Amino acid sequence: MRTKYNYRKTLMYVVLIVYALLSLFPFIWSLLISFTPMTYTDDRGIERGVDIMEWPPEMDLFEFPPHFFGAPATGENYEEVFHIAPYGRWILNTLIYASMVTLANLFFDGLAGYAFARLRFRGRDLIFSLLMATMMVPFPAIIVPTYLLISDMGLINTFMGLILPKVSMVFGIFLMRQFFLNLPIEIEEAATIDGASIPRRAFSVMFPMARPAFITLGIYTFLNTWNDFMWPLIVTTKKEMFTLTIGLNFFKGSFYTVWPYMMAATMLMTAPMIILYFSSQKYFLEVNVSSGVKG
Amino acid sequence: MSLRTKEGFYGYLFILPAMIIIGVFMLYPIVMTFWYSFTNYNGTEQNKFDMLFVPEDALQFHFGEFMEDLIPEDSQRLEKAFNAISLIEFDIGVKLSEEQKASFSNEYFKVGDLMNDFLTGSLAEQITVKQFLERYLTGKGRNLLSYQPVFTGFSNFTKAFKDPYFWTSLKNTLLFSAIVVPVQTLLALLLAVAANQKIWGQKFFKTTFFIPSVTSSAAISMIFSLIYTKPGILNQMFGIVGIPAVDWLNNPQTALGAVMAMNIWTTAGYFMVTYLAGLQQIPASILQAAQIDGASPSRIFWKIIVPLLKNQTIYIVTMGIISTLQVFDQIYMLIRNLRNVTLSYYIYKNAFEYGEMGYASALGVVLFILVFVVTYVFKRVYREERVVKEVKR
Repeated sequence: MRTKYNYRKTLMYVVLIVYALLSLFPFIWSLLISFTPMTYTDDRGIERGVDIMEWPPEMDLFEFPPHFFGAPATGENYEEVFHIAPYGRWILNTLIYASMVTLANLFFDGLAGYAFARLRFRGRDLIFSLLMATMMVPFPAIIVPTYLLISDMGLINTFMGLILPKVSMVFGIFLMRQFFLNLPIEIEEAATIDGASIPRRAFSVMFPMARPAFITLGIYTFLNTWNDFMWPLIVTTKKEMFTLTIGLNFFKGSFYTVWPYMMAATMLMTAPMIILYFSSQKYFLEVNVSSGVKG
Repeated sequence: MSLRTKEGFYGYLFILPAMIIIGVFMLYPIVMTFWYSFTNYNGTEQNKFDMLFVPEDALQFHFGEFMEDLIPEDSQRLEKAFNAISLIEFDIGVKLSEEQKASFSNEYFKVGDLMNDFLTGSLAEQITVKQFLERYLTGKGRNLLSYQPVFTGFSNFTKAFKDPYFWTSLKNTLLFSAIVVPVQTLLALLLAVAANQKIWGQKFFKTTFFIPSVTSSAAISMIFSLIYTKPGILNQMFGIVGIPAVDWLNNPQTALGAVMAMNIWTTAGYFMVTYLAGLQQIPASILQAAQIDGASPSRIFWKIIVPLLKNQTIYIVTMGIISTLQVFDQIYMLIRNLRNVTLSYYIYKNAFEYGEMGYASALGVVLFILVFVVTYVFKRVYREERVVKEVKR
């Protein structure tokens, strides 16, 4: 019995380790390539090309700088990304897009979520269930009218056009409502007895208590908007208005892709989200679990 | 005001901004998708109204005479030769609907003004079609100021029915969902069960598996397009075991499968975390009791653990269905072959590359119905379970 148990446990370990390697490998691989120069000059002063497809790669990790594909690692691909494309501008665009959408969602979804959870008004549950039903609507299905609407407003290639359709999300309202429902009602009752008005109750009593929910919603929205693809693809046609996800296509050559540049660009847009994830893992898992169990 | 009415007032006030946005950018587009699907709405025709042109050139074409040869006295003669519809349709190049043409007659066009401006040479500068028409159209003629799609009944749907690419993209979409959803769900469950033991590094595994899901699909697509290239690392690895190299993404036989594998890689870890949270809620006493009763591990798994995870499974499968049926980003980034695209991509292609927005809307309606039907059927299967849940509440 004992040995059988150990055997099972070992098997589980193998599964976990293999999958962990599988999860990490693509990132490590592209990170290495992003530091690999296209060409380098060897000891004898001869210029050599670097083959990033070479297998097994000629690694030398104990030298400084380390060698990943037989050539000394360099940060020049990262510099080059800013020279051949308006990459700095794309970072700025993405930051503006993601932070504006996030701030707007915190405010509007927070208000609506509170109202749906705690205020009684006619038609509340009907409106809420109607909203829930729209969560299933696939965005590509309604992309044409959404585009035409923004286009008629003259908002193509503007931040307003990017941001406006996203300033309130049904999922955000759902998340906030869920949180407010779980807060003890006694605190609010006490505030009411003390003569606090409804806006006061919401803004000074409930919202401060909902801080974790706001952080969760904020991080979720920021991540999703940062990674958003289809909407920026359609609303931005000028290079200056691209977000990072759309800009990535710029590095894709039609016949030949310079992989070290491409991977440097990829790492630059991925790193902030991974850092955000590591610094606030709790909140990432919160979205996952709260929508999973209560949904 | 009583507390009741106050609550009502603030309730509506608080939901108002969100409702306006969701109404305008969600409910209105849903309704309009259905409406456009019955029209021949064409994006390129719409854009023509913003096109820049030189009215003087267009008028010279229209009359077949050059400015240099004309004198102010020609005004009367030209006015008689002038035909507004033909100018707009053939010399400017904007298509008008039959209804627009039928409602129009020359009295709605300020021909005199136009001739005057033309002969004094004040039309030599570039303006947009819309600006030009706004200046000279009056009364009912203003119907011509914008693009009007024509109601065409079910013709978009019959077109789709005969369009082989529609069927291919629909088939690919269903295939994508049918393979990705079960595989990622089972994989997530397997990983969660593996991690849900008193083992070293549980937190490490959880953290690691989650990373792909915080990365943008565009970035992941680019990473995998490097891995999938013909001389790439995947083929090198397979080469060791003797599998011949394949150009994964350019080969129509393997392209969609490669994207599916990538999709599973992205989401399995995310859903594993959902399952793990569920597993950790199962009281250890239940499992111990089963063990003492002599139940085999596989029996415990299928008869106790899986049923207790039903809520998580419903969530994971529903989310999986909804997201796989509308997969777009990865297809856009990686697939170059129209035989391997999904419905979402085909919608995009029609709307924004061919300008066929009416047809794209009809495909949108199909996608819309597809998602609802598949999710409904799935939920239907689990309905009994839900009833039990409701009663408990």
